[in-house]
Amino acid sequence: CDDYVDIDPQYAQDADNYFLSPSDYDKALTGAYDLMQTSYLDMWIGEIASDNSIAGGESVTDSEGLHQIDNMSHGGVNNELRSLFRWMYAGITRVNYIFENKDKLEFDGKTRILAEASFLRGYYYFELVKFFGDVPLVLDKRLSASEISAQPRTPASDVYAQIVKDLQFAADNLGWTTSTKGRITKGAALSLMGKAYLYQNKFAEAAQTLDKVIDEGPYTLSTDFSTLFRVASEGNSETVFDIEYVGIEGGGYGCFVCLEGFAAVGFHSIRGYKGPIYADGNSYNLPTQDLVDEFEPNDPRLATSILDIEAFKAAQLPVKVEYTVGGGGHTGFYNNKYLKRADELGANDNDLTSPVNHRVIRFADVLLMAAEAHNRKATPDDTKALAYLNQVRTRVSVNMPPVNATGGALTQAIYHERRVELAGEGIHFFDLVRTGRAADQIAGFKVGKNEVFPIPQAEIDLAGAGWLQNTGY
Amino acid sequence: QTLIKGQVTDENGQALPGVNVLIKGTSRGAVTDVKGEYTLSDAPADAVLIVSFIGYVSQEISVAGKSVVDAKLVPDVKALEEVVVIGYGTTTVKELTGSVSSVSGSKLSSLNTVRVDQALQGQAAGVQISTASGSPGGALNIRIRGLSTNGDNNPLVLVDGVPYSTDGLNALNPSDIESINVLKDGTAGIYGVRAANGVIIITTKQGKRNSKPSIEFSGYYGSQQTTKKLDLLNAHQYAVLKNEAYAAGGQAPPFANVDLGKGTDWQKEVFQKAPIMNYNLNMNGGSDKSTYSIGGSYMNQEGIVGGDKASYRRYNARINFTTDIAPRLTLQNVLLYTNERRRTLPENGIASVLYNTTNASPATTVRNPDGTYTYLEEFSDIINPLAQMANTFNQTNVNKLVGKEELTYKINENFELSARLGYNYANVSSKTFSPLVYYGSGKAQNTATNPALVPDSITLYSKEVDSVRSNGQWTKVNASYKIPRLNSVTETEQTFFNYNAEAFLNYNKTFSDIHHVKATLGISYFGDQGKSLSGTAYNIPYNSNDFADISAADGTNLLNNTTSYQYRSRLQSYFLRGEYGYKGKYMLSALVRRDASSNFGKNNRFGYFPAVSGAWVLSEEPFFQSDLFQFVKVRASYGVAGNDKIGNFRYRALLGGEGVYPFNNQLVNGVAIGTLGNQDLKWETTHQTNVGIDFSLFNGKLDITTDYYIKKTKDLLFQPDISAIAGAYGAGGSPPWINAGDVKNNGFELLINYNDKIGEDFRFNIGYNLTTIHNEVTALPDGVQFIEGGAFGVGGTRPTRMQVGYPIGYFYGYKTDGVYQTTQEVTERGVTQENAQPGDLRFVDQDKSGDINFSNNSDKTKIGSPIPDMIMGLNLGLNFKGFDVSGTLYVSLGNDILRNYERDQPLANLLAYRLNRWTGPGSTNTDPRLFTSSTQTNRNNVISDYFVEDGSFARIKNVQLGYTLPAAISKKIGATKLRIYVAANNLATFTKYRGYDPDLSAQFDPNNASGSTLSSGIDYGFYPQAKTFMAGLNLNF
Repeated sequence: CDDYVDIDPQYAQDADNYFLSPSDYDKALTGAYDLMQTSYLDMWIGEIASDNSIAGGESVTDSEGLHQIDNMSHGGVNNELRSLFRWMYAGITRVNYIFENKDKLEFDGKTRILAEASFLRGYYYFELVKFFGDVPLVLDKRLSASEISAQPRTPASDVYAQIVKDLQFAADNLGWTTSTKGRITKGAALSLMGKAYLYQNKFAEAAQTLDKVIDEGPYTLSTDFSTLFRVASEGNSETVFDIEYVGIEGGGYGCFVCLEGFAAVGFHSIRGYKGPIYADGNSYNLPTQDLVDEFEPNDPRLATSILDIEAFKAAQLPVKVEYTVGGGGHTGFYNNKYLKRADELGANDNDLTSPVNHRVIRFADVLLMAAEAHNRKATPDDTKALAYLNQVRTRVSVNMPPVNATGGALTQAIYHERRVELAGEGIHFFDLVRTGRAADQIAGFKVGKNEVFPIPQAEIDLAGAGWLQNTGY
Repeated sequence: QTLIKGQVTDENGQALPGVNVLIKGTSRGAVTDVKGEYTLSDAPADAVLIVSFIGYVSQEISVAGKSVVDAKLVPDVKALEEVVVIGYGTTTVKELTGSVSSVSGSKLSSLNTVRVDQALQGQAAGVQISTASGSPGGALNIRIRGLSTNGDNNPLVLVDGVPYSTDGLNALNPSDIESINVLKDGTAGIYGVRAANGVIIITTKQGKRNSKPSIEFSGYYGSQQTTKKLDLLNAHQYAVLKNEAYAAGGQAPPFANVDLGKGTDWQKEVFQKAPIMNYNLNMNGGSDKSTYSIGGSYMNQEGIVGGDKASYRRYNARINFTTDIAPRLTLQNVLLYTNERRRTLPENGIASVLYNTTNASPATTVRNPDGTYTYLEEFSDIINPLAQMANTFNQTNVNKLVGKEELTYKINENFELSARLGYNYANVSSKTFSPLVYYGSGKAQNTATNPALVPDSITLYSKEVDSVRSNGQWTKVNASYKIPRLNSVTETEQTFFNYNAEAFLNYNKTFSDIHHVKATLGISYFGDQGKSLSGTAYNIPYNSNDFADISAADGTNLLNNTTSYQYRSRLQSYFLRGEYGYKGKYMLSALVRRDASSNFGKNNRFGYFPAVSGAWVLSEEPFFQSDLFQFVKVRASYGVAGNDKIGNFRYRALLGGEGVYPFNNQLVNGVAIGTLGNQDLKWETTHQTNVGIDFSLFNGKLDITTDYYIKKTKDLLFQPDISAIAGAYGAGGSPPWINAGDVKNNGFELLINYNDKIGEDFRFNIGYNLTTIHNEVTALPDGVQFIEGGAFGVGGTRPTRMQVGYPIGYFYGYKTDGVYQTTQEVTERGVTQENAQPGDLRFVDQDKSGDINFSNNSDKTKIGSPIPDMIMGLNLGLNFKGFDVSGTLYVSLGNDILRNYERDQPLANLLAYRLNRWTGPGSTNTDPRLFTSSTQTNRNNVISDYFVEDGSFARIKNVQLGYTLPAAISKKIGATKLRIYVAANNLATFTKYRGYDPDLSAQFDPNNASGSTLSSGIDYGFYPQAKTFMAGLNLNF
């Protein structure tokens, strides 16, 4: 007798009544890609946590969590870490939703979709394991509320095994090139796999995997380092894995989870800026003098990577350049790779939107990872390592003198090269951690504790699965 | 058989027109004319005349052979027989078993408020009205007996039986209202799943049978101004304090010269006097077969900030018509039409006009010498508030039609059948024009990055345009694609429609003069639906609002976009109520409603909501002997009601997620999981116990109503955080709605009315009401220790919590314990406080760990609650000859407010209390030092009780002085009554609160999509209510 109230929503689909056509799979895959756009924060924290930069911003209570990470005083209550944890699992769930329904329909091209989805899951889990260590491994299904408390933290090694497995599937089923800019390729999958091996100190496997990318892949180093991070250079020969942004999708301060733009660019930018070339921003993630000092004299990459605002101001005369200093700190330097340019503005609030892509893995990184892997593996191949290293140093437009070293000296040279080549790209903190150098370089870093970030306390409580907090937090 | 004449007067001897004089036992009668006179032909010599008039005690007078029968009516001071509406029926004050607050329409309209709910503030015990925005047309929050949920706390509002949204209450003209009855206790359960937050039943004016047309005109015109301006630093003080702050942080002082005088008073520039006006015309009357009441009104209010840019205009037209279309069959037709127009400025939060006003530098002028607005270049995100107002263009137009057709068939003396169809249709049409505007370099609100307003280019993407072979390999060559960033206009058309079809049978019979039985049996169908279509177009000619329309825009632009949505929900209900009264001494009532709601899945689609109530009139007992008490009644009720106010289809897992990603530089729409589903979702349930005692003393001069209630709400409907691994936190996603958590409200209500007169000419009445609220969260979902809400600072922490054992939405932060005076005190305190310096706030080491932890919550605790302990209303009325004086006072005690309108930017202006800052050992132990540094960390601005203020206040809501011209004079212009008055609203506010207006309530909570409850009491830069002085008149014909 209650037929009157038995109505369905109009023009809307149920999650449990989907995957009825091949295009449904494609759309779900696009949805799974979407969460990659949130990893601007991963990049950002990778810098702030290291000795490369300070948190900056309007005040020390503005995005307080970032300031705590900067000071190594972060704990289980941290908005930014919690966002990261949530976003990566949201991405994983969107992938798992596809795998949960993978047998619902057979069609040509499904393998490609599943391969790209596998990569995405590998990427999201890699970010999680990199930040938090052991994390619950949820695969191929959405969890109901009642299943959550049965999810233990899976040992990091098992998570890595799954990452490698997913990336292998992706690599096996994807081509080196794609006709669609933004789609994942075999090269991206193998490079991320190599990186995952490196993070486990599995150097032989890393070397083997990365060699494949170098030898078989279509990549070459760009011949113009100075424009590498500009919109116009997107998709250049060095691009292995980019997270795509266009300048249209934005967001609001009220809902950071709705943020679809590359917010790092606007947030990094110069506070109260008035002048040519650049545009105004929020002065976050400011490079340190220590990072500047790491560059060898005359390394042209310094100017591309780091903007010295006072030097720039002087160079522009008689054109007047003005800027202000935020209460969150000031170093005189800005992250020039991801800095808002007047000719690269996004729509609406361009602090939150940028057309600039997030370069997650560049071919230079692949070469340096391979160099490190060859140098540090059980039976080192320093010749190869040196060749890779020097390829990066001597690329046209960088032209730094080649290094000649072996063994430990070569290792140090690779570490140095990674820091300067990849400055401002969110990699340094994790490099320091995995190579055991963090305590020496980062003030306040506690060995046995700060290698991983704390699991957000609220997540421990909400899961109700008896997760233990990471040691020391 | 004679002709009988007579005059009816009030107790002052003034003629009373429109009084009914009826021959008892017949349907024959007459109505008094302007002079209060009537004539009855053919009246038996032994007739008894019933003389009745609303608001006066009816009299029965024996003719006893006389030919002139005058009557003097006395006001019905304690209307024990007054009708109380209880839902699908009525009862009398005497027989009422539940807890209902009644306010007459005349009382409400005399307060001269724009909104009906505004007038309710301080008028009814148990009803808390607070303001979400003081801007014209701004919303209010109505809370009946506390906060029951962190979801939707709005009561069900019915206007002549038609559901009305609380937001839409703007549309109602207070002058059209006959009465408001608020069902507060479990007996509201006659409205089942919608009754948990109480029910407000509004009845519009109706004509009377056999009455001559009476025409009433009322109108007022007033001038509004802000109730308060903040005490801000002037330019000299500002320069001195900023220099001090910079120096403290080791930076160069920004002002070489501090002799800047008073500088700019931004508040003086922004606040203005603004007019308000309201005119009403009503006509009432009726024949022996029909009645009519027709009304029309015009009201217009401009804003004290923004004038016409923040304004509200309303036209109302109304007809309430009843007619006997057949013997015993009556048709009632109600039609309420409203046309509204509202314009708004940005309010609340860092983008608002008042926030910019408060924080702008007094050392900067408003305009440049050439007349253009200054850019406030010393700030990154504070813009010139006058430029902001000048460049804000938006308006919303509402056309609303609410009505019902009701047929009542009187089957016989005992049975009456009613069937009605009610409808509520609104078309909401809004338009926002965003011109190209430049507020200064780097301002987030800029739409152009240069003063010449040359459009910027937006880089959409780069695209592969060619391939070049070099070095033996293919190289991709890219070009950037750009479009100019242009001005835009967004137009939105929304349509809302709900209908209800109801039929109910009422039974009413008294057996053997002692058993009074009433019963109601009914069925109700309710449907609600709506849709919206919105579009944005770019490149409006001349950057001018005059051309701001999609039709005038450049149609070839890339970024044109449209969106739409639609929704629907339904409710199907049956209800049954039985009432029994024995000798007017014992009353018992029981009801049950069965509701089925489309908001829930098949597992929990329908529910039963029972209530029982009873009353015992002690004063009717033979043993009750008292000269003091004329009436004593004890009441008790218990009932269960539901709340289904969540979005539609929340039980389903819809694919509402946002999954857009660029491929080939084009945004591609994907599909993603949205809000997670929950097939077991059900309504939240409120169990309420109420006991009350009513007294009437001193021959009806003093009436007292008391109530004590315990209201337990269980299975709260909301979206608490869920574990991240459920995957709910992608864009467009959210946790499932679940039923979890309990909240308890209990409190005491007191209502006292005293009416008396001194001598013949001096009459007065005093009404006092008091409500206490004790609110406590008693349960939360498993694994959830607390739920956070609100926002503090920029990108800062969430300052409110919902947690077991605490009031809902209490403030959570650090407690302070004075200010560090010396370095020695910092080092020898025994508690480490990171970066503390003399002059900094000294935080309490809540967990006794020996240090103040700023990276977790271990030292945070409760630092305040937005819920008042007690609210009170005091209403006074005096009449002396032709003069009348009235006043309404509203008091809220014990509510805290979190100050959150001060921008933590180095050069932001400060409130004058900062003059009392710490300047050296012993200077003060209250306000910390001023400090601005780019390199050192200072914790004075973390969430602490330093930012929590006592928001208690007493406000004179309305005072009025009127004079009614003697009948002899008004008669000369043909009027039966002419009253002129002067009045003031919000004349004075007594509070320690430093902000604009302590009468603020929950506003939109950016961190809590499911409701604003956890944002209560946070002052984000509130638009204050106006103080209004007005003059008006009431003219009756």
